[in-house]
Amino acid sequence: MAVDTKKCVGCSDCVVACQTENKVPIGYCRDWVVEVMDGTYPQLEIEIRSERCNHCENSPCVRCCPTGASHYADGGVVLVTPDECIGCGACIASCPYDARYPHPDGYVDKCTFCLDNRVKKGLDPACVSVCPTKCMYFGDLDDPNSPVSKVLKKRKFKTLIPEAGTQPQLYFLI
Amino acid sequence: MKEELIISGRMNQFIDPTLHIWHWHIPLYLFLGGLSAGILFFAAYFTITGKEDKYPTAVKLAPFLTPVLLSVGLLALLLDLKHKTYFWRLYTTIRIESPMSWGAWTLMVVTPLSFVWSALNIKTLFPNWDWKYKFLYDLEAFFRKNIKPIAWILLIFSLILGVYTGILFSAFNARPLWNTSILGPLFLTSGLSTGAAAIVLLSRNHAERLTFARIDLMLIGIEVFLIIHMFMGFLASTQVHIEAAELFLGGPYTTPFWLFVFTLGLAVPAVLEMLELKKFHLPYWIAPALVIAGGLIFRFLMANAGQASRWLY
Repeated sequence: MAVDTKKCVGCSDCVVACQTENKVPIGYCRDWVVEVMDGTYPQLEIEIRSERCNHCENSPCVRCCPTGASHYADGGVVLVTPDECIGCGACIASCPYDARYPHPDGYVDKCTFCLDNRVKKGLDPACVSVCPTKCMYFGDLDDPNSPVSKVLKKRKFKTLIPEAGTQPQLYFLI
Repeated sequence: MKEELIISGRMNQFIDPTLHIWHWHIPLYLFLGGLSAGILFFAAYFTITGKEDKYPTAVKLAPFLTPVLLSVGLLALLLDLKHKTYFWRLYTTIRIESPMSWGAWTLMVVTPLSFVWSALNIKTLFPNWDWKYKFLYDLEAFFRKNIKPIAWILLIFSLILGVYTGILFSAFNARPLWNTSILGPLFLTSGLSTGAAAIVLLSRNHAERLTFARIDLMLIGIEVFLIIHMFMGFLASTQVHIEAAELFLGGPYTTPFWLFVFTLGLAVPAVLEMLELKKFHLPYWIAPALVIAGGLIFRFLMANAGQASRWLY
């Protein structure tokens, strides 16, 4: 997924759409919006990012999981199987992005890219489809014709803390 | 000036504003695991070297603590799990990459052996113990015949357990304070040191106490060396590691760490043990009690400070 930091206005529609679509328990969220203010008034620069699990290629959460509940699903999406999760918190401690949280039902929960409920039906993830500025691009990075591949070819981008060595797969257009 | 903040509002329980997923359970579990590893290591070592009679407390008496300590530790781990009824999933897979997984399996080896070891020495505590059933006597005879191989298994697995208590933390590169491989040897040394201290506390034999005070003194020396190296490593590393070290070097954990762990848990007992070896008469229990308390506080500080150290935002 790619998020255009030049188009994102920080409206948080993506957060609400995710909570509604995925029945995220009240008081929790799987995605969130970060605002970065840089400089001194009046020379201010602002960057707004819609953030979520980075679905890393070298996921520390998958590595640390003692039961294999955290795993790579189709297309490299990182998922948790609730029935295999013991709620030990190792994956939560291992995530440099703090993208996971313990669901009130006990298992660990996080962004799924709406893989089963939307993407497999040919729809975009809830956050992407609802974005009023169309600032998010989703698709298969191995497919050169997917929206995300196309936009990454023509725009400059960055990932968050690549130095943590997790090979994050959430790209921010800058 | 740069300021980053979450504007959509996020207050995920146990995550925000800083990570606090692990409370008292995990540090207690790691402390008890390390302490048990220390006691069992000495019991196994002095059995292998044939010094059971010279060090009866280390070989026979102190290991009685370990089934209790390990059970309490495992109970703490169970209480920490948020999906408790699924805990058995730990034992349907082995994932070598996950310290939580192979650590759980290590405990699955060490805990039953700690019960076996205690059962074999039950007459130390209850001289008139009767196993009642023939098969229990047969079982006892079997274990007694194979005591050397069992001691070897225990020796190796107690070392693995001791290292695991540190590796559990150091496997998380998301928490810079934990992400140092020195934590494995450091927690092992600390575990062995608390184990030796527990033996000194229990021993009624002056010569045995002096031997273990000497062992403990050496272990404290190694621990201090490892702690200094840990901070040197952090300060020579990246910004996030420097910030992690600063939690203990001027940050909120400075006083508890340098006062309770370094001074009262390491330096003072080392001095007391040295004085004792120089034949000064001091209450013998002060040094080991301080070592054990220091070890416990050290686990708690590392668990909390580690969760406060992070990469960004």
